[in-house]
Amino acid sequence: MYDESKEPVIILRDVRMKYSDRYVLQGIDLEAYPGQIIGYIGPNGAGKSTTVKIMLGLVQGYTGEVKLFGRSLAEEAYDYKRRIGYVPEVVELFENLTACEYLTFVAELYGLSYADADAKASRLMAMFELEQVYHKRMTSYSKGMRQKVMLIASLLHNPDVLFFDEPLSGLDANSVMIVKEIMAQLAAQGKTIFYSSHIMEVVEKISSRIILIDEGRIIADGSFEELKSQSQEGTLEQIFNQLTGFHAYKQLAGEFVSIVREA
Amino acid sequence: MKDYSILKLLDYGQGLFERFGVDYAMMRRMLQVKLTMDRRRVPTVFMQQQDADKRAEEEEKDSNLFVRSLWLYGLLGLIMIPIVVMGDHYMFQLSLVWAILMFMITTSMISDFSSVLLDIRDKSILQTKPVSPRTIHMAKTVHIIIYLSLLTASMTLPSLVAGWITHGFVFFLLLLTEIVLADMVIVLLTALLYVLLLKFFDGERLKDTINYVQIALSIVIAVGYQVIIRSFELIDMSLGYTFRWWQVLLPPVWFAAPFELLLHGDTSIPILIMTGLALIVPILSILFYSRLMDGFERNLQKLANNSGGGSASAGHSRLTDWAARILCRSREERTFFRFTLRMLKGEREFKLKVYPSLGFAIIFPFIFMFNALRDMGWEGMAGSWWYISIYFSGIVIPTVALMLNYSGSYKGAWIYLVSPVRYQSSITQGVMKAAMVRLFAPIFLLQSVIFTAVFGLRIVPDVAAMLLSLAIYTIICFAVFNKELPFSQSFAGKKGSGGAKTAMLLVLLGGFVLIHVAALFIPHGIWIYLVLLLILNGWLWKPKGEKDAGHSKGGQTA
Repeated sequence: MYDESKEPVIILRDVRMKYSDRYVLQGIDLEAYPGQIIGYIGPNGAGKSTTVKIMLGLVQGYTGEVKLFGRSLAEEAYDYKRRIGYVPEVVELFENLTACEYLTFVAELYGLSYADADAKASRLMAMFELEQVYHKRMTSYSKGMRQKVMLIASLLHNPDVLFFDEPLSGLDANSVMIVKEIMAQLAAQGKTIFYSSHIMEVVEKISSRIILIDEGRIIADGSFEELKSQSQEGTLEQIFNQLTGFHAYKQLAGEFVSIVREA
Repeated sequence: MKDYSILKLLDYGQGLFERFGVDYAMMRRMLQVKLTMDRRRVPTVFMQQQDADKRAEEEEKDSNLFVRSLWLYGLLGLIMIPIVVMGDHYMFQLSLVWAILMFMITTSMISDFSSVLLDIRDKSILQTKPVSPRTIHMAKTVHIIIYLSLLTASMTLPSLVAGWITHGFVFFLLLLTEIVLADMVIVLLTALLYVLLLKFFDGERLKDTINYVQIALSIVIAVGYQVIIRSFELIDMSLGYTFRWWQVLLPPVWFAAPFELLLHGDTSIPILIMTGLALIVPILSILFYSRLMDGFERNLQKLANNSGGGSASAGHSRLTDWAARILCRSREERTFFRFTLRMLKGEREFKLKVYPSLGFAIIFPFIFMFNALRDMGWEGMAGSWWYISIYFSGIVIPTVALMLNYSGSYKGAWIYLVSPVRYQSSITQGVMKAAMVRLFAPIFLLQSVIFTAVFGLRIVPDVAAMLLSLAIYTIICFAVFNKELPFSQSFAGKKGSGGAKTAMLLVLLGGFVLIHVAALFIPHGIWIYLVLLLILNGWLWKPKGEKDAGHSKGGQTA
């Protein structure tokens, strides 16, 4: 499904990150190749978004080596970001702007001209059936509409690497289908998609490779079939539970409900 | 999106920006977006969509709200006219003008613009793009400078005109040039200070340190201002200006020196030195600044780190429990009391805006006391009624009342709507009491103790009267500002600085002082006043049950 003979676009070597006295990442090693859809999963606080933020240059102070597009990440590097698209977990956009204003602004930051950006953005908005609100302020948008704007903003400049953090959140079932297919087709054209989500069913279906991290370490790395054969569990959810050492969900849920029922 | 004329003006400096390694086109685009957003207020969470749309359209027509509040600064600038025109003792007059100007500009810089400078909200939008950190930071700096220039312009316009008429064109030109230089120094030094803080501190400690520095800064400014006035009072005006070595440490005196040099032809060494400082320091700070700037955005990340983590019992100590029991009548009120204490602990932006005035509240009463001490001597002062200056600790109350409407996490305010809170008065009263206990009470307590030690036990009834008057003052301030629910609005959508209302409330504070002084002239007047205040307080703080929370909130959405 992907070509290992190509150069990896992302290389992480023994990446460690410490916030005050706690290690968030304790030695992450991974390589990502063009055409891969990598499901990057793990429990809350496992270090998923820290990894992504390091690659985006948002977090400094890590140790180890981070290489993107064959180049080590220097502290002041920023030009490589031209080839990256990013959808953060929390919807963060300048909602006082209209979608048109926001999208053209973002695209211009990526180096597109206003006219190109506007033409592209309006057509992409129309694909999501948002053409009527293209010139409306995003304060009036629903969560799903904002999510679509974020997705468009991350793709306008035709990046080679995509960092998607919960890209499907807030989308309705039909839009989810579209976005999943978009990801598959982008990967088929050689783009690398680094995808974090907590919805295991989706990760299981669309990822060509799954990386599971827990407490700042990679504890599993491979295709879904490989993980399945290693752990002898049927679904990714079960593999996730098994590998992160979590079995007591029924008991915990029972205790939770009994506490809720207390006066 | 509009192409603002201010940006066209900025285009003339394109070469200069590029010399500093800034991507001018990108910076211009970011500024255009920022300026557009400044014109559009973020509606509060409770506003209905149609209302928001309607209001949005209206706002679009109005220009920037900040711009609309500029006339107030123009009024403030009128104060300086008499100082400018009263003679040609330039060293004295202009040091005073500069002291006032720098005082006002710096305070607005650390209170209003710190939050812009230390903003990390658009990090994930801007810093994930292929734009150099230097460009991002420069856009931020220029954004601040645009507003600061508008503010300075409206504040100095009266003096500039008056100076031109009475002292001629050279005076005008010199003042204008120096205003630009002084603005530069102020912006850059404030930023430098933050750069240094960001370098050496981390996470929560950094936030705390910034707040303490703000308090310290406003105290230093207030005291420095006094020093300037004093330093010239000692001199006989008719004899002209005599140099003292420590004047080299006071920037307002530097900026006065060029006037002496150019308009009076005074080429003495001290004047030359200080003229040099007025010229060199701004230029040096620019050069130094563009160097340090690179690390700024990166280090800003530290503000987002929530390492360390507060202890679970934060805001729930035995003391606060006790205060909640004593001060609050209903359980709901106690809930909001504790809630507010916790919110105040975590609200960085709130602290950024309130703490500078907290510094003034701490220092002003003492400044009055020391002035009295100087004029009357220890004996004279201890027998006087200058303890009344404790009232000036109340200047923090309007600011607190105004800022309690806002929150960085204003979106969480939906909780008020869905929770079964019966009376809105228990929300307001709980919040009001908590804010006063947390922010005002420590200052007042400290000052009461010190002033009682100085003036003797005879002032105890006065202190009690002051406490009760300030309690009434608090209610008035909150009634003026807190029309909406606490913590329910975004700082970004702040409607002006509430300047006119704050000014009126400060006048009102003066009214309280006058009434108190008047009571002192009546035999046993203070006791009568005390009883009156007690009755009034009892009536005002009584929980009001008739207002139904859900209902009045519904009214606000309209």
